Amino acid sequence: MKMGWRLWVLIIAIVFSILAIRPSFESGVLVKSVEPDSPAFQEGLRQGAHIIEVNGQAIEQVSDYARALGDNNSQIAPSRIEIKTEDADFVFFTNESLGLTVQNKPRTRLKSGLDIQGGARALVRPEQNISDAQLSDLIAVSNNRFNVFGISDVKIRGVKDLQGNKFMLIEVAGASPSDLENLVAKQGKFEARIGNETVFVGGNEDISSVCRNDATCAGVTGCFPSQSGGYICNFAFTLYLSPDAAKHHAEITEKIEIDYVTGGQYLKGNLTLVLDDKIVDTLLISKDLKGRETTQISIQGSGSGVTQEEALADARASMHKLQTVLITGSLPHKLEIVKLDTISPSLGGKFVYILLLAGMAAIVVVSIIVFIRYRKIKESLAVLVTSFSEIIIILGVAALIGWNLDLPAIAGILATIGTGVDQQIIILDEARRARTASMRERMKRAIFVVMSAYATALVSLLPLYWAGAGLFKGFAITTIIGITAGVLISRPAFAEMIRKIEE
Amino acid sequence: MEQHTHENVQVQKNWYDKSYKLLLLVPLVLFLGSLIYLYGFYTQNGDIFYKDVSITGGTTITVFSSADIVALEESLRTQFPDLTVRSMTDIRTGAQHGFFVETSASVDEIKGALERYLGFVLSTENSSIEFTGATLSTSFYNQLRIAVIASFILMAIVVFIIFRTPIRSLSIIIAGLADIIMTIVVIDMLGIRLSTAGIVALLMLIGYSVDADIMLTTRVVKDKEGSINHRIWGAFKTGMTMTLTAIAAIGIALLFTHSLSPILSQMFTIILIGLCFDIFNCWVTNASLLKWYAEAKKTL
Repeated sequence: MKMGWRLWVLIIAIVFSILAIRPSFESGVLVKSVEPDSPAFQEGLRQGAHIIEVNGQAIEQVSDYARALGDNNSQIAPSRIEIKTEDADFVFFTNESLGLTVQNKPRTRLKSGLDIQGGARALVRPEQNISDAQLSDLIAVSNNRFNVFGISDVKIRGVKDLQGNKFMLIEVAGASPSDLENLVAKQGKFEARIGNETVFVGGNEDISSVCRNDATCAGVTGCFPSQSGGYICNFAFTLYLSPDAAKHHAEITEKIEIDYVTGGQYLKGNLTLVLDDKIVDTLLISKDLKGRETTQISIQGSGSGVTQEEALADARASMHKLQTVLITGSLPHKLEIVKLDTISPSLGGKFVYILLLAGMAAIVVVSIIVFIRYRKIKESLAVLVTSFSEIIIILGVAALIGWNLDLPAIAGILATIGTGVDQQIIILDEARRARTASMRERMKRAIFVVMSAYATALVSLLPLYWAGAGLFKGFAITTIIGITAGVLISRPAFAEMIRKIEE
Repeated sequence: MEQHTHENVQVQKNWYDKSYKLLLLVPLVLFLGSLIYLYGFYTQNGDIFYKDVSITGGTTITVFSSADIVALEESLRTQFPDLTVRSMTDIRTGAQHGFFVETSASVDEIKGALERYLGFVLSTENSSIEFTGATLSTSFYNQLRIAVIASFILMAIVVFIIFRTPIRSLSIIIAGLADIIMTIVVIDMLGIRLSTAGIVALLMLIGYSVDADIMLTTRVVKDKEGSINHRIWGAFKTGMTMTLTAIAAIGIALLFTHSLSPILSQMFTIILIGLCFDIFNCWVTNASLLKWYAEAKKTL
C-alpha cells in the first residue's frame, strides 16, 4: 500500500515533535543558579553543572541533595562539604550558604507553568502612570535587585492589558523566596542621615561597593538572649563610599560637636539609617571621624527570634536585604502588588501524572465509543493514533517555542482532544455515507466543515490573547497551536487513513 | 442496516414534519425563561452569575493537610463570613490530602487565622497562596467580558462569511447564543461561583458550540440527495456521535481533575454543561429553524 504525502507529513511532524520534546531517562540534580561571590562561585562551580555526590552520598533528586547537606546553612561553625559533579570535585570549608540553587534534571524539554511546578508570580503596578521607557527602567532596576539578592531564575517583563494599564510581571520558578513581597514591591529607598541632612543614599552613585560573603568584613557579630525573651543577633558589614559621598560626609561631621557628656568618645549627632521611611538603626559616630573623609563605614543591624537559630537566620536575612538595596539603590517608582501567587512545588509531580492519565483515558474512551458506533476496529485505531499524534505535536511545538504549560493551557489541550475527535467523526461519517458522490467529493465536503469549525474556534480564541495582562496567553496559544496542528497536519492524514481503509 | 435506517426516517418524517414548528416553542420558551431568570438574578445579585475571589479580589489558600474542614469552616466563619472551604481528595483512595480556602480577606488576615487554627506555619512546602487585588480583578473581569463579547461577534462574522445567507447564519448564531445563556443559568442554579478561568471556559464554548451546527447546516445546504428530513437525520447521527465523544472526553477530564484543581474542575464543568445544551440547541433549535427556512423556500 502506497502511503500518501499527508501521512508522511504527519509522521515527520511526530518525529520532529519527539525530537523537540527530547525525553531523557537520566536522573540527577542540576545547578540552576550560583550566587555571585558566594563560596560556590569562588570555587568555580557554575550553572548547569550536574551534581552526582555530596559528602559521599549519591544524589538522584533534590531531596537527596537537601538531606546530604543537612541544615549546614544554620550552623555557626564552619564545616567541610564535598561536592562531586560530572566533571570535577569541589571542597568547601564554610558556615555560609554555598549560594547554590539546584533542580531535578528535567526529563524532557517541556516546561510546566508556575501553577504546576511551583514558584511565585507577582503582578506589580506603579502607583503613577509611567511611560514605556520608564517601565523598562523599572524592569532593569528590579532585575538587578533580584540578581544581587541571589535569585537568578527570575523572569521580569512588562505587560499591558486591554485598557492600556502597565504592569511588571515577575515570575520566580521553583521555590519562592519567603520575603518576595518586600523584594518586589518595597521601593528600597535607603538613606543615611545625620540630623536632617542626608549623608548618602543607596545605589552606585554614593556607594562604590558593599562587602558581602566575606567573613572578614561582613557577618553576624554575636547573639545574646534579649530582655523580652528570645534572642537577638547583631550583624555588621562594611560599606565603601564613593569619594564624593565621603567628602559630603566629612563636611557634615565637621560641623558636629564632640559629646563630652558620654565621655568624649562620640559625636553629638547620630548616623540614622532609614529604609523606606523606617529607621533601621542609629549609629554613634566615633570622634575620630569628625571632618575626616572616610570611605569605609560599618553598617550594623540586628535580627531577632524565639530561638537563637531563628534570630541568626533573621539577622542574616536582614543583612542580605540591606546589602541588596544598598547596592542596587531604590526603585524609581512606588509600587503596588496587585496580584501575588506563591504556589507550592509539592503538587507538581502529582499534577503531571494525573493530567497525563486523564488525557490517555479520554483518548481511549473516545476510541471505544467510536468502535461501538461503527463496529470497525481499524477506524477506531485510526482515531486513537490521530488523537495521540495531535497531543505529541502540540507538546512538540510547545517545547520548540519554549512555552510554559500552565493549568489553563492543559485544559486547552484536553479540550482539543474533544474537538479533534469531533472533526475526525465528521470525516469518518462523510466517508461512510451513501456513495452517490465520489470519495474525493465527500472528503472535500468534510474538510469544508472541519475548516469552518476551525475558523470559528480560532477567531473566538483570539481576544483572549490580549485580555487580562497576558495571563491567559498560555491557554490561547496552546489551544490555537492544537487546533491549527489538527487541521493542517493530523486531519488531512486521518482523511487519508480513512480513505485507504474504506476503499 | 440501510433498510432499517430508512424506516426510521419514515417514522421520523411524519411526526417531525407536523411538529417541527411547534417544537421550536420549546427552545423559545427555555431561551426566554433563561433571559428572565438571568434578569432576576442580575437584579438580586448585581451580576448574571456568582463570582469567586479571582473576579472580586481576595485570597485563595491551598493547604496540604488532612484537617477536618467542617470544623475549620465553622471556626473561621465568624471572622470571615464569606469563607468557603473545599477538600482536595486523592482520586484513587478518596482520602483528603488537602483543602482550599477562599475569602475576600487579605493574605495576612486569613493566613494568620489559619495558622492559629492549624497550629503550624504555612510555608511553600505545605501550602500555596494566591492573592488578587480588588482593582486588578475588576479590570480583569471587565476585559474578560469584553473578550467574551468580541469572541462571540468574531464567531458570528465568520459564520456569516461561511454561509452567506442571513437566516442560516443567524440560526447557527442563535443556537450558539442559547448554549451560552442556558449554560450560565445552570451554573447559577448549581451555585457555582465563576472564576476568571470559568469565563475563559465560556469563551471556549463559543467556538466549540457551533461545530455541530456548522456540520448540520452544511449537510442540509450542500447535500443534493435525499429529503431535508433525511439530511437532518443523517447529520443528527454524525452530530450525536461527535457531541457524545466530546462529552466523554471532557467528562473524563473532569473526573480526573475534580478533586485536584478547582480551576480545571470548573472549566470542564462549564464545557460539559455547554455541550449538553449543544445537543438540544443544535438538534431542536437550529435543525427546526433550518427546516422551516428550507420549507419556506420550497413553497416560494
